[in-house]
Amino acid sequence: MDLNMKVNHLPALTYRFLKSNNSQIEINDLYIENTKTPEPENIPAAVSVKSDATEADVKAIFEDANNKIKAKKTELPGPNGDTAPLNDGQVVRTGMGVEIDNLMAEMNVPVTVITAAEGTEVKEPVFIRYALKDGDCVLGSQVIHALKGSEITVIMEYDSDTDAKGFIGIQTRLLAEEGAKINLIKVQMLSEGIMHFDDIGGVCEDKASIDSIGMQLGALNTWGGCRVTLLGRKSKFNNHTGYLCRHKQTYDMNYVADQMGEKTESEMIFRGVLLDEAQKIFRGTLDFKSGSAGSVGDEQEDTLLLSPDVVNRTMPMILCQEEDVDGRHGATIGQLGDDTLFYMQSRGIGEEEAKRLMIRARMESIARMIPDEALIIRIQQFIRTIL
Amino acid sequence: MSDNNKAVVDIDRSVYDIKDVENEQDFYRMEDGFTEDIVRKISEEKHDPEWMKKFRLDSLKIYNELEMPDWGPDTDELDMNLISSYVRSKSDMKGKWEDVPEDIKNTFERLGIPEAERESLAGVGAQYDSELVYHNVKDEVADQGVIYTDMESALTGEYSDMVHEYFMKLVPPTDHKYAALHGAVWSGGSFVYVPKGVKVDIPLQSYFRLNAAGAGQFEHTLIIVDEGADLHFIEGCSAPKYNVANLHAGCVELFVKKNARLRYSTIENWSKNMYNLNTKRALVEEGARMEWVSGSFGSHTSYLYPMTILKGDHSTMEYTGITFAGKGQNLDTGAKVVHQGKYTSSLISTKSISKSGGIGTYRSSVIINKEAKHAKTSVSCDSLMLDSISRADTIPGMDIRTNDADVGHEAKIGRISDEAVFYLMSRGLSEADARAMIVSGFANPVSKELPLEYAVEMNNLIKLEMSGG
Repeated sequence: MDLNMKVNHLPALTYRFLKSNNSQIEINDLYIENTKTPEPENIPAAVSVKSDATEADVKAIFEDANNKIKAKKTELPGPNGDTAPLNDGQVVRTGMGVEIDNLMAEMNVPVTVITAAEGTEVKEPVFIRYALKDGDCVLGSQVIHALKGSEITVIMEYDSDTDAKGFIGIQTRLLAEEGAKINLIKVQMLSEGIMHFDDIGGVCEDKASIDSIGMQLGALNTWGGCRVTLLGRKSKFNNHTGYLCRHKQTYDMNYVADQMGEKTESEMIFRGVLLDEAQKIFRGTLDFKSGSAGSVGDEQEDTLLLSPDVVNRTMPMILCQEEDVDGRHGATIGQLGDDTLFYMQSRGIGEEEAKRLMIRARMESIARMIPDEALIIRIQQFIRTIL
Repeated sequence: MSDNNKAVVDIDRSVYDIKDVENEQDFYRMEDGFTEDIVRKISEEKHDPEWMKKFRLDSLKIYNELEMPDWGPDTDELDMNLISSYVRSKSDMKGKWEDVPEDIKNTFERLGIPEAERESLAGVGAQYDSELVYHNVKDEVADQGVIYTDMESALTGEYSDMVHEYFMKLVPPTDHKYAALHGAVWSGGSFVYVPKGVKVDIPLQSYFRLNAAGAGQFEHTLIIVDEGADLHFIEGCSAPKYNVANLHAGCVELFVKKNARLRYSTIENWSKNMYNLNTKRALVEEGARMEWVSGSFGSHTSYLYPMTILKGDHSTMEYTGITFAGKGQNLDTGAKVVHQGKYTSSLISTKSISKSGGIGTYRSSVIINKEAKHAKTSVSCDSLMLDSISRADTIPGMDIRTNDADVGHEAKIGRISDEAVFYLMSRGLSEADARAMIVSGFANPVSKELPLEYAVEMNNLIKLEMSGG
C-alpha cells in the first residue's frame, strides 16, 4: 500500500510560507504484515488486558467522556484558521489527527486495551516492546484505561536491528477517569532505516492526570503527535520530551493541551539537539477553552543547534477563550554558549567532547525521569553508540 | 452607566464619526467593483504613464487568480462588488489649508491635523478618500533636500525614474491577493526621499481619512531614506462608521539605506465597518535601523503584519505594537522579520487586549536564513483578556536555518489581577478607573515610544474602548 496522509495539523492555521500548517506523510509500497500489539509484559493482578478490541469497543470506553465534552461546547468563535473541524470524526482527538484513525480502520488494526482496576495503584510498569527486524512493517493500536482512583504506568520501547529498514506506526489512546493517573513512557531507539509515527490522544476527567515522557533517539523520519483533553476539574497533563536528531533525520511533532475544565494544569517541556543536516518542526499549543477558569499552562522549548546545516522550525501557540487563566510559553534556541565551552575547555575538555557531554546531559535530564533503571542504561548505551 | 464609569464616558468619540455628505457636484465616484474597465478608467483619470497602466492591468489579472488566505479572519461579508475603488473631491490638491474645500477642511481641523502641523510636524499630507487634498512641507526641511510629495506628482514629475525603480518592488503584486488589488487600483499616498546624511529632526505625517461609504482606500507610501539619513514618519488614519463595509488595502514600502534610520509610527483608528488589509514592508541595508511603532484600535477586521528584511550586515529592527480588539472586531496583527545579513538583530514586543467579544490575534514569523550568522532575535508577546466572551490568540512561527543564531521567545496570556484592582480601589479609584489605569499601564511600553500628542490620543482611545464607547 501507499501512505499519503496529512497529519499534525496546527490547531489554528498560519502563514503558508512557513510550511508548518501540517505535514505530509508519503511512503510508497508498504507491505503491512503485522498489526497486533506485542503481548504486554509484567502485568500485575490489578491490570487486565484485552488484545482484540474493536473500534466500537473503544467508542464505548470513551462514550461518557465524549458526552461530557459535547456538553461543554459553546457557540463562541474558534481561533482564526481553526482546524478543529478536520478532526471532528475522531473518537479521541489525537495529536496527529483523523487520518491516523482512518489508516487504522482501513487496515483493521486490533486494539489492545489495558485497564487498571478501580482504586488500585500499580507500582510496577507494564512493558510493551517492539523489536523490529529488517523489512518489518508494523501498525499497532492501544488504549490505556485507568478506572476511577487508579494509577498505571506503561512503558513502550521501540527498538530494531542495527541496520534494519522498515516502518512502524502506533496510536495510543488514554482515558484517566476521576482521580486516576496514567504514566505513559515511550522510548524510540530505532535504526536510521526506519520510518515511524507515534500518535497519542488522551482525556482526563476530574482530578485525573496524564504524565507523558517521550524520547525520540533514532529512526529516519519520525512524526509524533500528542493531544490531551483536560476535561475535568483540576485535571493535569505533564509532558517531557527529549529528542536527538542527526544526519538527515527529521522529527515532526504536534503537541496540544486542550484545557476545558476549571483549574486544570498543563506543563509541556521539550529538550532537543539537532546535529548534521537534521530537521525538526515543533508545534506546541496551549488551548484554554471557555470554562477553563483558574487554569494554568506552561510550555518550554530548549533546542541546541550543533551544525550550520540544521533546520529548526518552532510554532508555539497559545489560544485563549477564558479570562481567568495564566498561560506561558518560552523558547530558547541556539548553539552552545561561549561561557559553557570556555568552562569545559578550562577543565581540559575539548570542544567536541564538550558537545557530546552537553548532548548526553540534555537527554539524561529526561531519561532520568523513567522509573526503570535497565531502560535508562539502554538509553545511555544507545546515545553513546550513535555519538 | 454607573457613576464609576463617568470619567471614561466623558471622552468624545464623535470627532472620528464626522460624516460629510459627498454630493455628485463636488465628488467623483467610480462605479463599484474591480473590473478591467474600471482599472483602465482609473489609469486614465490619473494620467498614468504607459508602464503604470500595464502594471495595473497585470496586477488585476494576478488579483483574479489568487485566493484569499485560509488562515486569517473571515472576510466573507466583504462583497468586493459593492466597493468603489476610487472616490475623489473635484477640487485639486492644495498647498495651503485655507484653499482646501470647506467641508474637508472642517473634518481635518476637528481631527486636529492643521494644529499638529503647526506645532510638531515638519510636513503633512492629508488624504481624503482616494486622493490627497493637502500637502505641505516646511521650508527648512525642503531646503535640506527632503522630498515629501504625493505619489501622483512623484510618478509623473521629476522623480518618476525613482518611482519606477522602487514601486512595488518590495511588495510585488504576487505577494498576496490584496497586494495585487492594490497594484491594480492604487491611488494617493506619499513619496518621501531623505538625501544622504540628512537628519530630519521633527516628524513628517500623513493622515488618511476615508469618508465615503462603501469605498476603498488604496494609498501607496514609498519612503527612501538614503545613506546615513534619519527620519520619523507618522501615519494616522480614521473613518466615520457606516453600516456597509469599507476596505483599506494600502501599501507601504520603505527603503532604509546603509547606516540610515527610519521610525514609522502608526495609530490606526479606522471605523468598525472597515476591512483593513494593509501591507507594510521595509528593506534594511548594512548598519541601518528600522523601528516600527504600531497601535491598532479600529477596524472591523484587520490583517496587518509589518515585515522587515534585514538584508545588510549589522542591520537591526525593533517592532513595538499594541492591538485593542473590542466588540465586533477581529484584529489579526503582528510582525514579520527575515534575517539575511550577518550580525543582524530584531526585537519584537507586542501587547494585545481583548474585550467585549473582540478577537485579538498576535501572529508573527521570524526567519533566520543560513547566511545570517550571529543573528539575534527576541520576541515577547503579552495578551490581556478582559472578559470570557472574547478571544486572545498567540500564533508565532520561527524558522531557523543556522546554528549560529540566538533566539529567544516568550509569550504570556492572562487577566488583570484582582490584587492590583483592589490596591487601586483602596487608594480611592473606582473599579472601572482602576481597570482602565491598569490597561494603560499595560500599554505603556508602546505609548512611551510615541510623540506626546499621539501617546495622549492612544491613551484616550484605550479609555474609550474600556468604557465600551
